Amino acid sequence: MPGIWLVLSLLLAGCATQTRQLMQQGAANLPRRAEIAATPFFAQERYQCGPAALAMTLRAAGIDVKPDALVPQVYVPQREGSLPPEMLAAARRNGALSMTIPHRLDALLAEIAAGHPVIVLQNLSLQIFPLWHYAVAIGYDLDSGDIILRSGTTERLTMALSTFEHTWSRGDYWGMVALPPGQLPETVDESGVADALVAFEKAGNPQRVHTAYEAALRRWPGNLTMLLGAGNTAYAAGQREAAAAAFRRTVQVHPDNAPAYNNLASVLAELGRLDEAREAAQKAVELGGPWRDAALATLQSIEARRR
Amino acid sequence: MIATIKRWFVCALLGAFSFVGFTQTVQAAMIGTEQIHAANVAAENRARIAAALDRPEVIDQLEKMGVSPTDAQARVAALTDEEAANLATKINSMPAGGDVLGALVFIFVLLLVTDILGLTKVYPFTRSRR
Repeated sequence: MPGIWLVLSLLLAGCATQTRQLMQQGAANLPRRAEIAATPFFAQERYQCGPAALAMTLRAAGIDVKPDALVPQVYVPQREGSLPPEMLAAARRNGALSMTIPHRLDALLAEIAAGHPVIVLQNLSLQIFPLWHYAVAIGYDLDSGDIILRSGTTERLTMALSTFEHTWSRGDYWGMVALPPGQLPETVDESGVADALVAFEKAGNPQRVHTAYEAALRRWPGNLTMLLGAGNTAYAAGQREAAAAAFRRTVQVHPDNAPAYNNLASVLAELGRLDEAREAAQKAVELGGPWRDAALATLQSIEARRR
Repeated sequence: MIATIKRWFVCALLGAFSFVGFTQTVQAAMIGTEQIHAANVAAENRARIAAALDRPEVIDQLEKMGVSPTDAQARVAALTDEEAANLATKINSMPAGGDVLGALVFIFVLLLVTDILGLTKVYPFTRSRR
């Protein structure tokens, strides 16, 4: 009988493969330990680990919001919990750039090492009777094999990294960061960040989103979405000169992009620079493609103003 | 049945509108970032059409699950098309992170059951069925 338990425990231990590899081999540029001790703590109320985890992460990003204020943004009464897509959306609504991180333990630890707390979705129980829970991962120690979480009513919960991996893997390794505009994640690639920025633009304050786009452009100066986003958000924030400059920058990098010329033309027209506007609008029309109708409309409205 | 017909009709209508080259823009003449970001215009239009149907469905579902109508609308407005589509189909099955306190109750019950089945002997008051 004891033999069966031994085999079972060996099998189960074998499932925490990412932990074992990290503890033995480490990872490139990953320090052996890190802790974001300054991460604030909010003890959760019943079923409210979502609002609590979000509040902690947003506060760490310099956004002052209490869990109570987040309940109507993420809590689903019948499900007695909060859903992952709504966690991402609520972070954006409150002014943070949110996105999921790659579904790997080394990515989670890399974000922590970079000073970014990560909201993790855990199934604390078994596959058959899941107990879903959000915690905030704020530290780890590869030598002692531990991860440190702000979880439930525990400000500093130390858990074996292998156990954590079991609970985290049952949630398909879902983790999200919520960063202040101006900061970029450590582990998310160009296209992931672009997606997150476009999503942020949908829900966030234009000035804040603009800051986020500019930060991304420092890392990826040629990205078309980011270049256009920087222009569109400057415009939405009421900064037409800055918007015009941003669209100018875009067409310098992407001289075949009709939307960039179209938007440049539109802003220049509003600034009263009608000759320049007309030139840009004509270029947009020339470039054609699916945006030809929009460009024509812009050109026509400029012509009308010139008369 | 009626709901399905309605859905197809709306789809056809929206499809027709998309050919007119409608652009949901920052302002009348500006082209929005979201539109340009999609892999191509056709894909973006498809996502837009699908989202136009998914969003009201998600609002409806959230309301049924106890969220107030104003909250539901604000929440869905902040979702991306992809997130809205995801929720529309999986809102009932997707994990809802909620509670850690319940774990204690669950473990208590589990061990009680295993005690009764004779697999464990945690509680002094249980007598296994064997």
